[in-house]
Amino acid sequence: MLTKLALAGVKNRRRDYLVLLAGLTMSAAIFYMFANLATNQAFIKANAVVKSASVVFGFGAVLLALITVVYIMYANSFLLSMRQHDYGLFMMLGAKRKRVGELVFLETLILGTVATAVGIGLGILASKFLVGFLLDQLGLHLSHLTSFYLPAIGFTAVLYIGLFILASLFNLTRLMRTTVQQLLHADQQANQPKVRPVRQFIAGVVGILLVAAGYWAMASIESLQLTAIPLALVTITIGTYLIFHATVLAVIRGLRRTGWAHRHLNGFLLGQLNFRVHDYTRMLTIVSLLFAMALGAITVGSGYHRQMPMTADSLGSYTVAVHDVNAHQRALIKQLHVAHQATYTQKVVGKTTYYNATELQAQPFELAKPIQSTGGRAKFYTQSLKTFKKDGATRIDFMVLNPRKLGDFTTPKILSARAFRQLKGQTYRVTTVRIKHMQDDLKVLAQLDRSEQKRFPAADGGALTVGTYQSYQLMNGIFGGLEFIGYFLGIAFLAMLASCLMFKILSGAPGDLRRYAMLNKVGVRRGLMRGNLAKEIGILFAIPGIMGIVDVLFGLQMFKPLMAAPMSPYLGIGTTFLIFIGLYVIYYLITLGLYLNLVMPSETRQD
Amino acid sequence: MTNAVVDVHNLEKTYGKAGERPYTALKGLNFSVAAGEFVGIMGASGSGKTTLLNMLSTLDTPTQGDVLVNGHDVTKMRGNQLADFRAQEVGFIFQDFNLLESLTAEENIGLPLALKGTASKVMDQAIQKVAATLSITDLLKKYPAQLSGGQKQRVAAARAIVHEPAILMGDEPTGALDSTSARELLDLLTTINREQHMSVLLVTHDPFSASFCQRILFIKDGQIGSELKRGDQDRKDFYQQILTELGTFSE
Repeated sequence: MLTKLALAGVKNRRRDYLVLLAGLTMSAAIFYMFANLATNQAFIKANAVVKSASVVFGFGAVLLALITVVYIMYANSFLLSMRQHDYGLFMMLGAKRKRVGELVFLETLILGTVATAVGIGLGILASKFLVGFLLDQLGLHLSHLTSFYLPAIGFTAVLYIGLFILASLFNLTRLMRTTVQQLLHADQQANQPKVRPVRQFIAGVVGILLVAAGYWAMASIESLQLTAIPLALVTITIGTYLIFHATVLAVIRGLRRTGWAHRHLNGFLLGQLNFRVHDYTRMLTIVSLLFAMALGAITVGSGYHRQMPMTADSLGSYTVAVHDVNAHQRALIKQLHVAHQATYTQKVVGKTTYYNATELQAQPFELAKPIQSTGGRAKFYTQSLKTFKKDGATRIDFMVLNPRKLGDFTTPKILSARAFRQLKGQTYRVTTVRIKHMQDDLKVLAQLDRSEQKRFPAADGGALTVGTYQSYQLMNGIFGGLEFIGYFLGIAFLAMLASCLMFKILSGAPGDLRRYAMLNKVGVRRGLMRGNLAKEIGILFAIPGIMGIVDVLFGLQMFKPLMAAPMSPYLGIGTTFLIFIGLYVIYYLITLGLYLNLVMPSETRQD
Repeated sequence: MTNAVVDVHNLEKTYGKAGERPYTALKGLNFSVAAGEFVGIMGASGSGKTTLLNMLSTLDTPTQGDVLVNGHDVTKMRGNQLADFRAQEVGFIFQDFNLLESLTAEENIGLPLALKGTASKVMDQAIQKVAATLSITDLLKKYPAQLSGGQKQRVAAARAIVHEPAILMGDEPTGALDSTSARELLDLLTTINREQHMSVLLVTHDPFSASFCQRILFIKDGQIGSELKRGDQDRKDFYQQILTELGTFSE
């Protein structure tokens, strides 16, 4: 009988359950997608780009799991807030506590299992289409990327079902400890936060100091090394909490005394915020950090990718090297904006490549200065033949000019003109070309590179060939991968943080339902009520958003050493920020739509 | 009647969707309330009292008939007009107070004025004045959770009259109060009615509350069954008369 009652209760609140189920399903789907990428060994092994980023993946998985815990906690409290009145009623009608407890446990678990199952299914579909689409957009081709991967399914299922069992137990103990009266009237209690001005002032100052310390730690990552990250995480978390705790309430209280608060529903808005923000402080802190991480991941990932070409010119001393230039290649070279070009005769005996000293004297081989000494600009110099024999000839740029590319080879030897002439071996003529700006000639370079690769396939060992164009390609792949991970993590974080916020806000709906019904009776226009809700939820979204943006702006300092001179972590962040904020706004609108649906009193008249 | 503040003509309300068995809560109701009058509406549970009040306050739509409140035909209003009408012409007191617990007493009382866009100085004066009338001046800074039932209802009454509506409507306002608080509230309503000439319409099933009215309409099965007038009677005598009437009325 009780089971029937419980089912009827669920049926009556179909819409609320749908929201909850949809959110949980989405979270499981995202987690599956990530787990699929992070745990798929065949995929990781097959892609050099991903291998180098597996640390990032591991870090991301841990973070994602943490968020999931928080997320399910909030979803669960939303569930409990919906159901506690019913449970109280059952108990009042004489149902045994134990029996109701069983119901709560089962209900939470069933909901969780359904969400997990559907979520994994959705995740498989999304992996198939969405991940492919994202990779396409970034111009990346990753092999062995499957959408269906059993270990990932197991991983997701174990984590989610485990968490739901915990949540069920939590609900059970909560219920067992609460009296029937409290359950029945849970959302009528209003606790007014107490204000202790001195304490709040101290909290505010300490908060600012802590956040400042965190920002400083991130900016001085070079001297602090890896300790900077945990230090910043701890100080910024506590600092943000204290700042929210101290300032938001004080600002609201200040505003309540002004004339502005006496207009329309402003007073009500402030009252609502006053009594919510306190309860939300912890939540807003977590969300602001997640916001920062998500935005940071996307900004850094795409920043690297976008700015890569800036350093491309300084990666080595020539852009491409072509052996025995043919007519087609000559035509292509003519199309390039050449800054420096040289041709050398090579003789290959065994694994050793020989050069003619006279040629090198007449046309010294260019060497690139390390970027650190030039302030990021590409600068080149030559050495006297004597120095070159000892130094330049042993540099990788010169060594890989041999026709075997990065394959099996030994240090090249430079012979006098006579000795060179007498040497018997296969002869090649290699032409090195350095162009002014790689970005101007990317298309022609690609063609040239392709034809050279075809004529002289790299030896078995390395897929690498030579020249800064090759390095550029390789780094493009790595940073493209980073960008992909950045976007993926960013979007996953965003989805989860916004849902956390959504559930927290939605769990306040039962209480607001009554308040807005009262406002409706008192004669508040519907437009005014809607506007008020939009403002209220908007502010709750904006606070962590603003804090998160500030965190990112300072946090990017951390990447300054990694993105040296011509690159900067701050370059072009405007677009990234805009896209991210756009997504965040969409989340806000969804939450608002759901909330309006839940809370707005029904129209009394059909217009 | 020209000075009527409420004029109900042939009011009918039927519940139930097409295809379901309809239930008629009100069957052709006719009555009016003169300006400055203190009228009670009595009836047993399910007699249609609350339905009637919902029609008068535009929270529900009649199936048929006219409802004129202070000259406005409320059955013809739409959307914002309805909200504005409730905000300006009517003051409400509910059984469960309906105070917003996130606002202080002062902010609760000021809400109807804030909706009108009243300047905050004017608002403060109006709040002080009404708070003095209802002797709640020292409660203004408190939140509803810190008030007793009787105090809450006095705050609610202050909110209902602060904007000087044409009529004050009460839906069992003493229902959740102890007898002392109930008497205090009813005395206050009487004072407001007498001194500010505000019309009061009280829906109740409690004969004690009803004995404060000047005229009582008894509803039975969706129609006005009978009417009692207090005239010059003492309240206690009127109370007895109501009890007798209820005794015969429900037979």
